[in-house]
Amino acid sequence: MAARSLRAHLLRMLLPPIAALLGLGAVIAYYPSIEPATEAYDQSLVDIGIALGSHIRASGGGFRLELPPAVEQVLRADRYDSVYYRVGGPDGRPIAGDLDLPAPPEPGPGLHYYDTKYKDRTVRAVSMPAQCGAGTCSVVVAETTVKRTRMAREILVSNVLPEVLIALATVAIVWFGVKRGLAPLARLSEEIKERSPLDLHALDAGRAPEETRPLIAALNGLLEELAAANRNQQRFLANAAHQLRTPLAGLQAHTELALSQPMPDACRTQVEQVHEATIRTARLANQLLALARAEPGGHTEAPSRVDLKAMVEGIADEWVHRALQRDLDLGFDLAPAGMRGDEFLLREALANLLHNAIEYSPRGARITVRTGTRDGKPYLEVEDEGPGIPATERERVLDRFYRVPGTPGTGSGLGLAIVREIAAGHGARIAIGDGAVAAVASRGCRVALTFPHGSRPDEDVDG
Amino acid sequence: MRLLIVEDDAPLASGLRRMLEAEGYAVDVTARGEEAVLAASQERFDLVILDIGLPQMDGFEVLRRLRAAEKPMPVLVLTARDAVDDRVRGLDLGADDYMAKPFAMPELTARVRALLRRSQAHGDPRIVHGPLAIDTVARRAFLRGEPLELAAREWAVLEVLLAKVEKIVSKEAIIQAVAGWGDDLSPNAIEVYISRLRSKLEPAGIKIRTVRGFGYMLEEFKEP
Repeated sequence: MAARSLRAHLLRMLLPPIAALLGLGAVIAYYPSIEPATEAYDQSLVDIGIALGSHIRASGGGFRLELPPAVEQVLRADRYDSVYYRVGGPDGRPIAGDLDLPAPPEPGPGLHYYDTKYKDRTVRAVSMPAQCGAGTCSVVVAETTVKRTRMAREILVSNVLPEVLIALATVAIVWFGVKRGLAPLARLSEEIKERSPLDLHALDAGRAPEETRPLIAALNGLLEELAAANRNQQRFLANAAHQLRTPLAGLQAHTELALSQPMPDACRTQVEQVHEATIRTARLANQLLALARAEPGGHTEAPSRVDLKAMVEGIADEWVHRALQRDLDLGFDLAPAGMRGDEFLLREALANLLHNAIEYSPRGARITVRTGTRDGKPYLEVEDEGPGIPATERERVLDRFYRVPGTPGTGSGLGLAIVREIAAGHGARIAIGDGAVAAVASRGCRVALTFPHGSRPDEDVDG
Repeated sequence: MRLLIVEDDAPLASGLRRMLEAEGYAVDVTARGEEAVLAASQERFDLVILDIGLPQMDGFEVLRRLRAAEKPMPVLVLTARDAVDDRVRGLDLGADDYMAKPFAMPELTARVRALLRRSQAHGDPRIVHGPLAIDTVARRAFLRGEPLELAAREWAVLEVLLAKVEKIVSKEAIIQAVAGWGDDLSPNAIEVYISRLRSKLEPAGIKIRTVRGFGYMLEEFKEP
């Protein structure tokens, strides 16, 4: 379902009543403004009628209109309209002008204005009495309605145009007003979008408008509940870690102790298997705990400034020794790579990458850890000379418990899933590629985490 | 050598005790932090293996009290905690080393040996490393009993490495330790000193390992 736009909604609510009001306003303004103009035009017809009436002369018992052609031309002259007239004698018979010009619908003494048709055109006519001797003659003057229509249109336009402009202005005000009014919300959503999933600080309402405060308060309530749930989970994980690891340490100590003593071969094989299973269980427990930690909410440390180079240097000693036990050459290529993140989780990701590299590299092989920045983005990379990961499997190896078919050893398939969770928590991209020494037997493997942006040296330390 | 194990998990404590006794150490075990503090105040231990997750008084508090009482013996911290932060690493509280549970026994015994060697060497001008013996005060070195000629810079590099047997020492750390005021030593120069040291020491079975892109490590001497 498409989300309802607040703007569209406001406009839908506002525009019909505004349009109705403006329409009504136009109508109300139209008649008062058209009336005086109509009256002025009518008056000029009356003037013509009066002028005509003054030219009626008695003539041999009857009457006739004595109108010099020049005067008639002046009377009939009009820029837009055709002017017609008819003069009737006291008996009502037409005596001059356009003899078939229609009479008023309600004849009688006095002035009559009326609309009628003449020669298939709408005309405005006025009929009036005129003195002729002792009787009363009649004068009808009519004109077509070109200039009246024109005037009506001009009045309408001059009334409606400002109203259309008002309507457009309303639309614009709603459009930008909504945008402006919602700007604090837009800022807020930017802030939420840019947040690391690990960051559950309350949102700062800042200068957000009154109406949005309940929303922000509700969000903050939710964040607080999430943070509380995280704290619970963290306590649980800390306890689980302790409860799992201590007995495993005891078990491992005793199997190693047993193996260091003389015993029958059959017995030794069994103890060796118990010992291997213990080590595998211990690693699995560690990985499951790491995975739980890496998931959103598993670890609530606020992100802090981390230099990947310093982080790698801190664990170098431990991992060089592990590599040496397998006769592997663990080397480094480290450039400063400052960023914001959770150092504990980043160390865990590196540990899983190194564990895989050590697990799958042939004796004597090289493993290299690199840190630095590319295009301003910090990266952490581990390259080995092991069998590598076929291109078709590179997506799936990041899944939990997935192992490339035919992989030797007893891995759980959790290592890269942990790396993926940690990368996701930091907005990092994982790239799996061939190693630099892609040979026939071993293509090598290079896993790189590229983080979204580095931190400036002047950035605060504990944020 | 007398060791104190402070660990409340009985099977782990007994396993540690038997393993360390097999290595020839005298071992005492307590499950309680209070007892550990009391024991350390009354008797002399050469090293303490301290679990962080103890009931009541936890390992952090024990460590704090031992250090407050200015007990000089090295402390190896054991932790089952997940968050291996600096506090657990003991860097803030003065632990000398830490291990996360579960751990391999050979690794633990190696760490114990290294810690004891370091603490025993403290204040002793003579350092012995397999067939190599040096006197840091008289600035004389002997290899298989024969005097060994070392240039001043070679001597300085060797001293740094000997102080951290089996630990990686970064090139920067060596430069800092070796370069005097106003000296400008390049990493390449360090490589030269290392290669001279190697040619003098390797015939006697003393190995300096290169950690690519990082530094060097003087390996623990193993009888050939």
